[in-house]
Parts: sequence; C-alpha cells; structure tokens
Amino acid sequence: MNRKFWIGTLAAAFLISLGWGFNEYRLAGEYRLVAENNNHRALTDFASHLDQLETDMAKGDVVSNSNQKILYLSQVSSKSDAALKDFAQIPAEQVGLSYLGQFLTQSGDFARTLAQQVASGGSISTEEEKTLRDMHERLVPVNQKVQDIMTRMDSENLAWTNPAPTIRQRLGFGGPQVAQAAADGSEVSAKSVRSGLDQLDASLQKLPPFSYTGEYASRVVPKPLGLPSGEVTRDKAQAVVRDFLGKVGYPNATPKFSGESQGALGGYMWKYKEADLEVSHQGGVITFYRDQRSIAPKTLSIEEASNKAKQALQTLGWQLALTSSEDFGSYVQFDAVVEKDGVRIYPDKVRLMIALDNGQLVGLDAAPYYSFHHSRTFPAKITLEQAVRKLRPNFQVIEGRLAVIVKSGNQEVYSYEFRGGYQGEEYLLYLNASTGAEEKIQRIIKTPRGEYLQ
Amino acid sequence: MKIRVKSWGSILAIGLIISIALSGIAYAALGDRLLGKGSKGPEVTELQKKMAQLGYGVGTIDGKFGSTTEAAIKRFQKDHGLRVDGLAGTQTIKELKRLTAQSTNASGKAVGYKNIDTNLLARCVNAEARGEPYTGQVAVAAVILNRIGDPAFPKTVADIIYQPQAFSSVNDGQINLPPSASALRAAQEAVSGSDPSGGAVFFFNPAKTKNKYIWSRPQIKQIGNHMFTK
Repeated sequence: MNRKFWIGTLAAAFLISLGWGFNEYRLAGEYRLVAENNNHRALTDFASHLDQLETDMAKGDVVSNSNQKILYLSQVSSKSDAALKDFAQIPAEQVGLSYLGQFLTQSGDFARTLAQQVASGGSISTEEEKTLRDMHERLVPVNQKVQDIMTRMDSENLAWTNPAPTIRQRLGFGGPQVAQAAADGSEVSAKSVRSGLDQLDASLQKLPPFSYTGEYASRVVPKPLGLPSGEVTRDKAQAVVRDFLGKVGYPNATPKFSGESQGALGGYMWKYKEADLEVSHQGGVITFYRDQRSIAPKTLSIEEASNKAKQALQTLGWQLALTSSEDFGSYVQFDAVVEKDGVRIYPDKVRLMIALDNGQLVGLDAAPYYSFHHSRTFPAKITLEQAVRKLRPNFQVIEGRLAVIVKSGNQEVYSYEFRGGYQGEEYLLYLNASTGAEEKIQRIIKTPRGEYLQ
Repeated sequence: MKIRVKSWGSILAIGLIISIALSGIAYAALGDRLLGKGSKGPEVTELQKKMAQLGYGVGTIDGKFGSTTEAAIKRFQKDHGLRVDGLAGTQTIKELKRLTAQSTNASGKAVGYKNIDTNLLARCVNAEARGEPYTGQVAVAAVILNRIGDPAFPKTVADIIYQPQAFSSVNDGQINLPPSASALRAAQEAVSGSDPSGGAVFFFNPAKTKNKYIWSRPQIKQIGNHMFTK
C-alpha cells in the first residue's frame, strides 16, 4: 500500500515535471524564433537598403536635371540612414567604432549636403562629383560582400555570432580564431554573420578617409580655439581654484587634487567639500565647476536668480549676455553668450547654475566657450530691413538681431535672428546675413522647465 | 431636555463630519486638501502617478499615502527647494502639477511632453550609473548623445541603447527599471547640452572590465567608478 502510494506520487510528479519542461521548451523555442526572425529581418533589410543605396548613388551621378538630382541624392541619404539602422540591430559580440557604420553615415551625409547645395541653386563641383563616384566605387564591394553573407546564410547555415572559444582553442591547440583573423583583415572564410561583417569593417578601415564638408565629415575634435596660451603647473592650477572658490563664496578653501583629464580640454581635477572643479592644462582656466551641496528651501525667484547670475559673471570677469534659463527645481541653469557689437555669438557659451536658496553659483561649464571662442571677422551684410523683407508674409517679428549660429558639423553662420509668431506658433528664424537665405528654423516650445527649442 | 439638546448637537456634528469626509472622497481633486501619511483615495492615486512620472518611486500606486509615498514627497521637496515636511500641501501639489504638465506652443496649445528620448536616456543612466556621482550620471547620458554625433554609431537614442551588446543593462533587463529622479535630471541636463565626459563615446568600470578593445581607447577622465574614453 505504502509502496504503491509512493510509486504513484513519483510517477505523477515525473509526469507533471515532464509536462512543465516541455512547455518551457516550447516557450523558449517561440522566443528564439521571434529573435531569429528579427535578426533575419534586420540583415535582409540591411542588404536590401544597401542595394538600393548603391543604385541610387549611380543614378544620382548620371542624372543631369537638378530636380531629379535632388531626388536621387535625398534617396541616397535616406537609404543610408535606413541601412545604418538595420546594421545596428544585427547581433554582435561587442560594440566598437564601426568603419562600415561610418562609411554609411558619411555617404548619406555627403549626399544630403550635395542635395541641399543643389536645392539652394548651387551646383556640384567636379571634385565633389569625383568624391561621390569614389563613394560609389567603395560601396559596390560592400554590397557584394553583404549579399555573399546572405547567400551563405542559406547554403552554410551561418551562425549570427562566433561561438565562444572551445577549451582546446583556449589552450592554444586550435587554429586561428575567426575574430582574430577578422581583425587582421585576412580572407579566412567567415564562420558567422558577425565575423563576415567584421572582415568587411577591417577592409574598410584600411582605405583612406573621404575629404568633404558635411555634418559628420570629421570625427576629430578640433583644437580648442579659446584657451589662453602656455601650460600651467599643478601648483598654479591650485591657486586658480582657490581664487575661484573665494569668488563663489568659499574663502580660504583647500581644494584636493583628484586626478588629471586628457583630451582637447584636458586639465587638473580638484575636489573641495562637495564641489568638483577642473582647470585646463593649457592656459590654466576653470573649465568646469559643479557644487553638489544640499540646497535649502528656495528664497529666490527666477528673475532674482538671473540677477545673481549676472553678478557672478561680473565677479568672475566674464562679459556675457544671458540668453536662456532652465528651471531644475532647487537651482536654475542659465546660458550666457558673448555679445559683441550687437552680434550674439551663440557658440561662445558659458553655462551657469544658481542655487535658489541663497543665490550662490553652484555650477559653471565653460567648455563650449573655450572650445570655440576666437576673434571673428564678419562679411558684408544686408540691412535688417532687407532681411525682414525676405521673411514670409504674415510672420510677425517680435525681435530681430545679428547672431553667429552653429550649423551642422561645427560650421558657423553669420545671420539675422528673428523671433516671431506665425499661426499661433513662435519661431526663431535665421537668415544668412550676407545673402538673406534661410539657414535654420527653430520652434519655441514652453515646457514646465522653461523654453525649449525644437 | 438639556441632555436631548446635547445629543442632537453631537449627532449634527458627527453628521457634518461624515458628510464633509464623504464629499471629500466623492469629489476630491488633487490639491483640494492637505494629504499626509494615512490619507487615502483617488487624489492620492493621482499624486502617486505624478510622483512616479517624475522619477520619485512611491512603490505600488494604490491610493494609500504610506511611508514610501511620504519619503518620496520628502525627496521631491528637497530637490525642488520646498519646505521638507513630507506633506502634500498647496505648494508641493502646485509644483508637482506644473512639472508634470504637457509642453505648450506659443498660443498655449498642449503639444505633448517632448521628452521621449529623455525618458529612455534616463532609464539607461539609471541602469548603468546608479550610485555614481551625479556628474558621472550626466556624463553617461552625454556619452550616448555623443555617439549620435559620431559617424561610427547609429543616429537615434533608441538605436544606440538597443544596439546588441552596447550596454550590459539592456542584456540583463535593468534598462526596464523606472528611472530615478536624479537619472531623469541627469538625462535632461545632457539633452540641454552639458557634457562632463569631455566628448567621450565609451565608458567602463576599470575594476570590472578586462575587454582589450575598451582599454585600448584613449582615456579622457575618470568620474566616480567610470572611466570615460574616446
């Protein structure tokens, strides 16, 4: 009796676990299939967009009518965006800088720049035509290689990523791993989709970069233009920090050295109580200050805080105009820019944070200012009245001024800035100051934190 | 007779209290009354929803003002320069309503929250840099935005965050945790242009990473436990 009972219970438990296991297995299979389908969609779409990109590039080259040219060049840029999006979804072992991604971004970027050029009545130079042709030349083998991977997917049942190395390989008995071979760029037949793409990446890496003007033309951060000359020592930097802290309400501070930073605006990093500061190696100026002290209940309005910001700028020796504010609750963030001879120079920006409990400066970011500030010479300009006449009818101008703005790719444009209303919306319109051509439009949105430009 | 009057009076008083309390429950709108520990009702639910929207975790949204809600209110008050008392009074509710309102265009028409990317960015910051100094959180958000500006990466916040193997928090599902108030603020600050990372496109924890590729990148600076690199 007892024995029968136990056998029965065990059999029932076994059957239940078997059923449960099968159900889990089936569910896992379904999930795997969903993921697999998604990967296939991404890869197929990638190959298809690459193919269309290649065709549109060829058409964009041959076409002579400028309207058609704009059409094909725009298609090149949208197809390259789409291909990049698909490419970013294909399974990978790790993420790094991708030359294939860079190539796609740059060809789309270049085509967009050319399309805009033609759209605004310009023409394409022989040199630009050659660059476009070179890009096409480079794209053809990329397209072939991806289609080859697609074919092998069907015939050889390629995996998405390389399997982890086996114990034998780890001990050094196996042949060269595909990933290593991919890094060398050697033509070992890839064992997975990813290693095939990695080989493609390595082959693109060897080719010289394109030279053209556009948003993503170069990824090298230019040398900072606004830093004073001469390297400073750590002791000098500490003196700069002490002086700065004295001016923002921490007299006789003893900042502690907390490390160095590298790069364009590299410098000495300091810590004092809950504040972090950075002084540039070159020129010895404060590029960053952030005080994380706890802030007591607010006593100041935003207007009062903006006066405090102006005072702080004066104390620190900056002559800048406040342009916008953003309310973060216990502190307000202000942007201040250089205003010279009535021209607002937006790239030369300093950001300040004012605590609303006592008006103390709790944040300063001068990195944009030191990166971009330099003396500029302005070309001849049309008058304000002439510029106003270029605006669309019924655009009600609230204010107009001269400004230097940044367009894509760190290009500066000398322009007229018009703030005004149209159909219940408010906009900032920027017209090129020399030609009157429309350069940029920004829509003004009022968010709970302040105005936002979209 | 005297006793009768007294009991009538007390019945009236009780009736009045009950009817006020009932009307409070039936027609309550957030801001009509002071809410504190022990308060219940639909306006507490509304309060909790708004708190959660701003990243102040209130636990389950159950319409009960408990100690979690009180702690969240205190943190909200601290961050927004209000008197820290843990009670949702006029000032606190006004600020809460203002911050959770939609954005408007110049003529006052609501045009949505305008923070679609900021929210995902904040989730990533929350998952990747929880417990890091605030500046380090802004820097993590800035890294994602710097990738948009770099030709070698995809061009939208979602494409970058969900790129396979790009962020460990996507692999282990931490990306789906609701973002904290500090992560939301850090994301907001990065979106409005701050970059304490100095133009970095990668970051890693030197104590936990052996990946050769990431160690080979030119280092910019260390903030908290994260090394930021080109």
